[in-house]
Amino acid sequence: MVVYSFFIFDRHCECIYIRQWLDTTSSATQPLSRPVTASSATTVAISVVEKPTSGSKLSMAEQAKLVFGVIFSLRNMVKKLCGPDDSFLCYRTGQYKLHYYETLSSLRFVMLTDIRTESLKSSLHQVYVNLYVEYVVKNPLSPVEHGGGEGVNNEMFELGIDSFVRTIP
Amino acid sequence: MAKKEQASCSSTANLQPTLSQPHPSAASAAPASPQARFRYLATMVVYAVLILNKAGGLIYQRDFNPGLQKLSSNDYLILAGTFHGVHAITSQISPTNDSASSGLEVLESENFVMRCFQTLTGTKFLVFAEPRQPNLDVVVRRVYELYADYVMKNPFYQIEMPIRSEGFDRHLTSYIKPHQ
Repeated sequence: MVVYSFFIFDRHCECIYIRQWLDTTSSATQPLSRPVTASSATTVAISVVEKPTSGSKLSMAEQAKLVFGVIFSLRNMVKKLCGPDDSFLCYRTGQYKLHYYETLSSLRFVMLTDIRTESLKSSLHQVYVNLYVEYVVKNPLSPVEHGGGEGVNNEMFELGIDSFVRTIP
Repeated sequence: MAKKEQASCSSTANLQPTLSQPHPSAASAAPASPQARFRYLATMVVYAVLILNKAGGLIYQRDFNPGLQKLSSNDYLILAGTFHGVHAITSQISPTNDSASSGLEVLESENFVMRCFQTLTGTKFLVFAEPRQPNLDVVVRRVYELYADYVMKNPFYQIEMPIRSEGFDRHLTSYIKPHQ
């Protein structure tokens, strides 16, 4: 299976951690270094390459905002339809699958994977219990509120996330 | 005429393929004898069907089985509008580079699963059902067929407006709740 990216949102709706593994977007968005005396042939080639990336691809920070908007809306929609006990688990489009896990303290874990992956609810719970609590919450140097991701992006947590993602079947 | 006959016996006709190729989860839970398995698959539990027009307005809403909370008509309109926006955003945040990116297709929660089908013209069909309900895409396609037959072919139907068609109601009921 393929894991594309991983987000953590805190209870103030702020994105405190972003991790992206399969960088499919940045390879196509190299800075344009077009020679001044470019022949018409190279200009055409560059414009063809640039075409699919223009306007459609977002930076990770912008993507995190959109992801939060989606999970927030869907979560409220599910709670409205099925009562407050129900919780939103995942959704799938033709290209990817988004898995969602929310703790009781309104900490939200989101993982984007390919569409063939089974439900990752228990895996995201394991991330919370074994990695977030161990390396972020129990870290004496970490602040209580992680404004701007402070305290979450420590080395142990990153290594743990990396090795954990490799073990997901 | 042939179409009508198919509609009336659709409950059995559409379940035939699932008998020969049972869904993995259905096969594990279903009893062994073919008769009992048929009964298992025939008890399809669809909670509700919603149809959204291309602007995100709710044009049809109907509950079939208890399972979802009762909402006011205003809440259903809000829900439809919200879903319309979310659907557009989900195609934007695709991590792959495919240009032909579709929006949300299946939404899963603890108590239900929702299948969304968007036609080429932008009309969305939402079917809410029990979790692990197999072959929901067949159900949603069939609802689309009924919509095409009994709503779009109705000369009095105004496009993009709420659906008030007795024939559509009747055929949808006989498809989704055939034995009641």
